[in-house]
Amino acid sequence: MGRYGRFPGFDAAAQWRHWDPATAGSVLARLGPPQPIRFFTPEEHATADALCERLLALEPDRPVPVVAMIDARLAEQETDGWRYADMPEDGQAWRLSLAALKADAVDCFQRPFAALTADRRDRLIGRVRELDSTPWHDLPAGHVWSLWTRYACTAFYSHPFAWNEIGFPGPAYPRGYKNLGVDAREPYEVEDEGKS
Amino acid sequence: MSSVRERNASAWLLPNDGTRTNHQLRRDMRRFDDNDEVDAVIVGCGAGGSVLLQRLARAGWRVVGLDAGPFWDPDTDWVSDEAGSHHLYWTDPRVISGADPVPLGSNNSGRGVGGSMVHFAGYVPRFHPSDFRTLSQDGVGADWPIAYRDLKPYYTAIEQELPVAGEHWPWGDPHGYPHRPHPVGGNGEIFLRGAEKLGITAKVGPVAIPNGRFGNRPHCVYRGFCLQGCKVNAKASPLITHVPDALAHGAEIRADSMVAHIDVDEHTGLATGVHYIRNGLQRFQRARVVIVAGYSIETPRLLLNSASRRFPDGLCNDFDQVGRYVMVQGAPQTAGRFDSEIRMYKAPPPEVSTEEFYETDPAKPYHRGFAIQTVSPLPITWAEHVAAQGHWGADLRRMMSDYVHWSCLGALCELLPQPENRVTLAQETDRHGLPVANMAYSRCANDRALMSAARGVMEDLLRAAGADEVMTIERYAHLVGGARMAADERHGVVDADSRSFAVPNLYIADGSVLPTQGSANPALTIMALAARAADRLSA
Repeated sequence: MGRYGRFPGFDAAAQWRHWDPATAGSVLARLGPPQPIRFFTPEEHATADALCERLLALEPDRPVPVVAMIDARLAEQETDGWRYADMPEDGQAWRLSLAALKADAVDCFQRPFAALTADRRDRLIGRVRELDSTPWHDLPAGHVWSLWTRYACTAFYSHPFAWNEIGFPGPAYPRGYKNLGVDAREPYEVEDEGKS
Repeated sequence: MSSVRERNASAWLLPNDGTRTNHQLRRDMRRFDDNDEVDAVIVGCGAGGSVLLQRLARAGWRVVGLDAGPFWDPDTDWVSDEAGSHHLYWTDPRVISGADPVPLGSNNSGRGVGGSMVHFAGYVPRFHPSDFRTLSQDGVGADWPIAYRDLKPYYTAIEQELPVAGEHWPWGDPHGYPHRPHPVGGNGEIFLRGAEKLGITAKVGPVAIPNGRFGNRPHCVYRGFCLQGCKVNAKASPLITHVPDALAHGAEIRADSMVAHIDVDEHTGLATGVHYIRNGLQRFQRARVVIVAGYSIETPRLLLNSASRRFPDGLCNDFDQVGRYVMVQGAPQTAGRFDSEIRMYKAPPPEVSTEEFYETDPAKPYHRGFAIQTVSPLPITWAEHVAAQGHWGADLRRMMSDYVHWSCLGALCELLPQPENRVTLAQETDRHGLPVANMAYSRCANDRALMSAARGVMEDLLRAAGADEVMTIERYAHLVGGARMAADERHGVVDADSRSFAVPNLYIADGSVLPTQGSANPALTIMALAARAADRLSA
């Protein structure tokens, strides 16, 4: 049902027997162990984990391996099919922005980013968001923000754990939907128990 | 219905045994040799290329379609899942620049047989008659070298072949559709409710999904994954609407073939064929006619990459027209929150639209207009909308947990064609060593005014329907232009029949030939233009 308890008993992946094989293979793989880290160095890995934990308010036990999912995309060069002219390609942009976060942490708090308290990390991350089009360590801050949130959200909201939290049943082929319309639900969809 | 089957049997050539691909037809496909001089080679098998392939094959031409991506099988290659559909998009490197850089990839760029129609929403409105003469009528944009009436019979023909479902259409040139409108889901219901309250006419459709069985294509199951490729074979794409009939009439499709360069004979001035790369090997397909249908980024890129001694600045680029006047529609997206559950992920995202604001309104300080349609983002795309509002961390998670309560509309604003909005070659190269495209985009004052007006109407609509909170993000949709048709070679790259001014046997038949874009989704117009070009070619 997820952190907010809005959809009690709802479990998107429990419906997997109703999914077609190609889809089931693709989605259920996300419930298994993630790929080993191949792209990030150990230091980048630690910084990325400390960043994504705050960007998505991730649970301490990491039910969604967001950083491993981002690492897999970067290792396979699975980009979105474009980059801003004032940014390097995505992999290099991740490396540079993680190094910049680490440099900010050392400047402000004399400790690596990954070793900072959540509050301090939020201050550094929040500063990048607020800079918007202003340069941050020679990178346009707004485009760094777009890079981080695109990769992090794509990873997190592709996972059935996240779907349970938002009441989304995930794959719908071949079954489809029979009950369309406002306040209409399928038997396996669960009513929202209230605004969080 | 029988007349459609007589001129395009695609839907009847698909299997009716619960699978989605006629493997026998593909196995038995005619295969030409590189050394055969085929009648035509077509670069790109999307909306434009596939229609031409089918029409020319029917006319008895020996024709090959090359596509950089795969020859899809919906059963094995596509999934009912957002993240797992990444391979449907053109994700080779590209650079975006300008004051308002436009994201590409999933937003507007396809790959593989069927092109971006594989993942288009499914809206197929016609352009209005006014779209073809905005310069003389509204003082902005450009006039086309053809009029609406030239395309009208092709609109009708393609609407029957897709086929299109929707209510009688009161805007532009009023017309009906071959199939009745689909039932709407929560999002469509909200749009209709808000429109009624405000006295705005809104209609269901037009959507390229048959309402009922069409040939061996099953009925839509309303699962909401139109943008991830239709595993049902219900939503139209050329993979199922034109390719099967093309193969049955002797056309070849050569997938996984990236065209690098068009060859032009220096002495005759004629195109002789295309250099392409398949399985790492450089090959050359000879052809009597070369037709480029790679869409608004790859078509200009290919022409620019085909520079030669005769065309030092790129093929067909004697007058610096190649790559210019690229357009996207301003597509602000407004969401409204309701206490009721909307569950906008159910039913196809294309449901309801209005074209009330399409034409220039003399009372307004801007020219031309916009359309409004339902869009129904799935969770990843929705997270982008929410994150774009500045939400992150626990705040983002909490907002996202409210997903089932949100309804979402999108506008299509007619941004104007401008010469500096263009595709050029970047320094960077792809894995074949070919320079990649840089697409520059900046809005003008009229563009910004339109987007802000559309936002206002969408926010009013959702509030009128009962939303207690609205939020709007700015985005862009679709791509056209970049090798536009014009009256002469100083104003465009191709003539009214899609033939290039510079090379008599070189044609362009995709969205890049559009001089203006209206506020309509471009797929139907691209197909209609290709069908018309085919008639002129084979006449």
